[in-house]
Amino acid sequence: MNFAAFLRNIRRETRGARGRLIFFTACLAIGVAGVVAVAGLSASLDQTIRGEAKQLLAADLAIEGRKPLPPQLDSLIASVAGARRTDVREMVTVVAAKSNDGSAGRSQLVELKAVGEGYPFYGTLTTEPQRPLGTLLGAQNAVVAPELLTRLGLRVGSELKIGTGTFTISGTVSKEPDRLGGAFSLGPRVFIALGAVPGTGLEGKGSRVSYRALVRLPDGSTRAQATALVDRLDTALEPLGRFRVESYTEAQPTLRNGLHRAERFLALVALLSLLIGGVGVAQTVRAWLAGRMDAIAILKCLGMRPREVLRLYVAQTVVLAGIGSALGCILGTAVQWAVPALLGSLLPAGLPRTLEPVALLRGLLLGIGVALLFSLPPLLGALRVPPARVLRRDAEPIPFSRAVQILLGSVLLGGVYTLAVVQSQSWSLGAGFTGALVGATAALALSAWLVRKAIGRLPRGRRGRGIGWRHGLAALTRPGAGTTSAIVALGLGVVVVLAMRLVESQLAGQLEHDLPADAPSAFLIDIQPDEWPGVQEVLNRNGATHIDAVPVVMARLTAIDGKPVEEIAEAQTAEAPAKKPANGSAGSSSENTRRGQRGERREGGGGGNRRWALTREQRLTYMATLPADNRIVEGKLWSDPAKSEVSLEQDFARDIGAHLGSRLDFDVQGVPFELEVTTIRTVKWESFGINFFLVVEPGVLEQAPQQRLAAARLPQGGEQVIQDQLAARFPNVTMLQTRDILDRIRTVMLRISSGIRFLGGFTILAGIAILAGAVGASSARRGREVALLKTIGMTRRGVMQVFATEYALLGLVAGVIGAAAGGVLAWAVLTQQMQVPWHFEPAPFVAAVVGAVGLAVLAGLAASAGALRRRPIEALRAE
Amino acid sequence: MIQESMRTNPPPDPAAVEFALETRALTKRMPSGGKPLTILDQVTLSIPRGEFVAILGPSGSGKSTLLALLAGLDRPTSGEVRLDGEAIQDLSEDELALLRRRKVGFVFQSFQLLSNLTAQENILLPMELLGVSDGEARADELLALVGLSERGHHYPSQLSGGEQQRVALARAFAPRPAILFADEPTGNLDSATGERVLQLLTDLHRRDGTTLVLVTHDPAVAALAERRVHLRDGHIARDERGDSTLTASKQ
Repeated sequence: MNFAAFLRNIRRETRGARGRLIFFTACLAIGVAGVVAVAGLSASLDQTIRGEAKQLLAADLAIEGRKPLPPQLDSLIASVAGARRTDVREMVTVVAAKSNDGSAGRSQLVELKAVGEGYPFYGTLTTEPQRPLGTLLGAQNAVVAPELLTRLGLRVGSELKIGTGTFTISGTVSKEPDRLGGAFSLGPRVFIALGAVPGTGLEGKGSRVSYRALVRLPDGSTRAQATALVDRLDTALEPLGRFRVESYTEAQPTLRNGLHRAERFLALVALLSLLIGGVGVAQTVRAWLAGRMDAIAILKCLGMRPREVLRLYVAQTVVLAGIGSALGCILGTAVQWAVPALLGSLLPAGLPRTLEPVALLRGLLLGIGVALLFSLPPLLGALRVPPARVLRRDAEPIPFSRAVQILLGSVLLGGVYTLAVVQSQSWSLGAGFTGALVGATAALALSAWLVRKAIGRLPRGRRGRGIGWRHGLAALTRPGAGTTSAIVALGLGVVVVLAMRLVESQLAGQLEHDLPADAPSAFLIDIQPDEWPGVQEVLNRNGATHIDAVPVVMARLTAIDGKPVEEIAEAQTAEAPAKKPANGSAGSSSENTRRGQRGERREGGGGGNRRWALTREQRLTYMATLPADNRIVEGKLWSDPAKSEVSLEQDFARDIGAHLGSRLDFDVQGVPFELEVTTIRTVKWESFGINFFLVVEPGVLEQAPQQRLAAARLPQGGEQVIQDQLAARFPNVTMLQTRDILDRIRTVMLRISSGIRFLGGFTILAGIAILAGAVGASSARRGREVALLKTIGMTRRGVMQVFATEYALLGLVAGVIGAAAGGVLAWAVLTQQMQVPWHFEPAPFVAAVVGAVGLAVLAGLAASAGALRRRPIEALRAE
Repeated sequence: MIQESMRTNPPPDPAAVEFALETRALTKRMPSGGKPLTILDQVTLSIPRGEFVAILGPSGSGKSTLLALLAGLDRPTSGEVRLDGEAIQDLSEDELALLRRRKVGFVFQSFQLLSNLTAQENILLPMELLGVSDGEARADELLALVGLSERGHHYPSQLSGGEQQRVALARAFAPRPAILFADEPTGNLDSATGERVLQLLTDLHRRDGTTLVLVTHDPAVAALAERRVHLRDGHIARDERGDSTLTASKQ
């Protein structure tokens, strides 16, 4: 047979079956559309939340240190083509109003931020006048927080002395995207241009300057590229000490958890949509080929070799899959465009709708790949069609040789694994998915086999009275009924839909639960003990709630277990390179204040972290019971009356090298005292409450010199009044607002969770649609059976009973096994991949089983409806 | 396409082979519930080239099974089948397909035309498989021979049963097979139409010198053959020769 004849045969094969062909192509298209639409929506959601996350860092990644950044940084960044860099320097300094006579007027501690060209790379600053920061900041201009104007009695246009330089205030700034650490800032914000720093003379020895380089990667860069650059920079900067590299994904603990979970979720969605699409395709191809069995037998009879038959149908599947995939891409894209328009407010705001040729091509290839791979088992079934079928319809299929079986198995496994890796972009997730699929398929196939065996064992007489019941049972066990493949397909569908539902609802619930709902919106620092009643009164009068205050004692750590900290610090510096602090857990000690922790400031990175942790001034508090967001992991709180006890935060304890039983020597303004570590605890930093590394038992520090740190929720819009009243009565009290950052985090987290709910729901609906099509396709060949039953005198009602019984049983088995497997999958994904606690709710499981039964019965009846309506002779003739 | 490379052993010299088909101790068992059911039991049979043999027997006697085994559509449980001198029981599916393509034609009770091909395309198909690219003339010639010149572009569903079987006949003879198997070719036809089909079948057999193996349960049909092999319960019950065309056609 030459190529032209081959092509002719492919074309001829499609003749005379237009209806079935259209149905087949439509089923393929729906399968592919599901995969494409989910991929597109995932990409959009991913892009949205990443965009938000980048704003919180104002960059893709940042490199930060306490000394000037090394010159080789430029070449490292330049290793990524198109990457841009700008620098930011921050320091705390005192600025003064310049009075008319030229002498310095009132002064104020401020946080000075000198920014380079292009800052911020992501997000916007709210300034007055609303112009780009670069145009407001000339060589000698400053843009300041409005409260600085109030405190110093200045206005826009006034002059301000910063160090040795004089600046003109050209505007005010009320919001900056990357100022997360407002809570622990030490004063109002002042912006100047990076080039103006030398003129202030502030960069000399002894001043604490934070140097930061912001990097913007070219548009369209992946997270993997950002991570790769972070790793390269980490490695290169490690020997140079005390530099910290972070990407936008790590900028904030609440967000980091959310992003991480969203990422896992999107991978799950991609994999599950792939699976459901594949199942749909496999069932459709199986049904299609079932209708071609006679033709295949004739072709073989006439001398067509099995491999030629296979080639013919593979080529046909490729053509149809191509058409189906193209349609699927169009449909999938249409869904992406239509869905946000239809659902509007339910969706994360500003979900971008992308129409990228690359994405479409990817969808097309993915569609053809899925179609080919999942249709492989039914296609290979064409090899097994015996030519003797032309003589006897029930001729035994030709068995596969062991070699073919092994080859088929390997190709299937390899193919599924490859597709899974492509979809999830992770080798390990791909492997997990492949393993889970094999396991679930095996469980379903085994249960199908057991059910058939069990029904086969039932003596016919004892199978019940109704004819529908008896025939329905018999239909499941007759040879070639396709019971196993139908149960596997439907069961896998149930796995997908139920797992999706469980993961989606529990994950979204957890994300919403994690939101700092009761978090304070403002912190008040440096309150003297005698001022506290007055401050409290101001807060209460103006409607503040959730007011909380703790004492703060500043102390210096002098020795651990008798060994002076200077010695410990030196020993640690010597053993370079120092161990990098762990980055995995929320609130690890490598976090610094910009990440939104309250009560403690953490700085530095790499080996410098420990030194800093040891030698800086420590903030101690004392309390009888720990806040709810603390969890003791070692020891028992205040359990030894004979000792002065202290409780350490776990990561801090590791940083300073202390453990349960360590003796810590402190010095408070010259007064030494010793504390013993009796508990180690973890802190949920993302709760935004007041938390300390060091908590001392009551009765030790009460007489030490101390201040108070207070937190409260201020009424929306009432902040300015409180600020003004406090400034008037207690000028040394600084109020720091966190509403802004809380709102931002809240927004991002709600977007993630609503995106997850939406995408989950969409996948579930697409899954149900595909499954209904697949069950329908596999029952479409039952016309002859319907006709025969009617011929021998069964009423339509009776025939429907037979079918309903058969499909209900099939749905029941698939539903029960699928629900069990779906539950296990959801549990594994939630607890192992996403660190979300598992709650068992029975309702979705019941709904899954009932739904599977209902879907199977409806699809089965719908598919036989045509044959039920026709006269039997038509159906018999048509065969 | 490389077809010859499929051969495991060189074909015997056709001149040296006396028999188109030979079987030795041919046995076929099938699993039936628990114990295997013997359908054919130790059947030994030789069919010379060009002979017209009818295989007769009641339903369940093993006629169709014997035909499937002779034509390489199925595999025996034990015993040997030689087609044109070549032992075929151990050939692979691919080798069997090539053998059928080159040497065997079929006519079935239920016609077995491909419903998605026109009458002409159905006739062309075996020739296409053989790599004959200009088979149209022969297809048209055969269509004329079976009296369906005008119906070449019709699909099987647009043809009557008799017409379909005539197309099937033309398809079977199109590649000039050495052996033609016919399984109850008139079983689905009324007697007049059946007679016409049988006439065509015997004419074509005579014209091309094709070995013809016809399976039937109808003694009248079998009477047309030069030799009648009676099967009963998987055994050859009687093997008779002699032309009874005259008496059979009168019946």
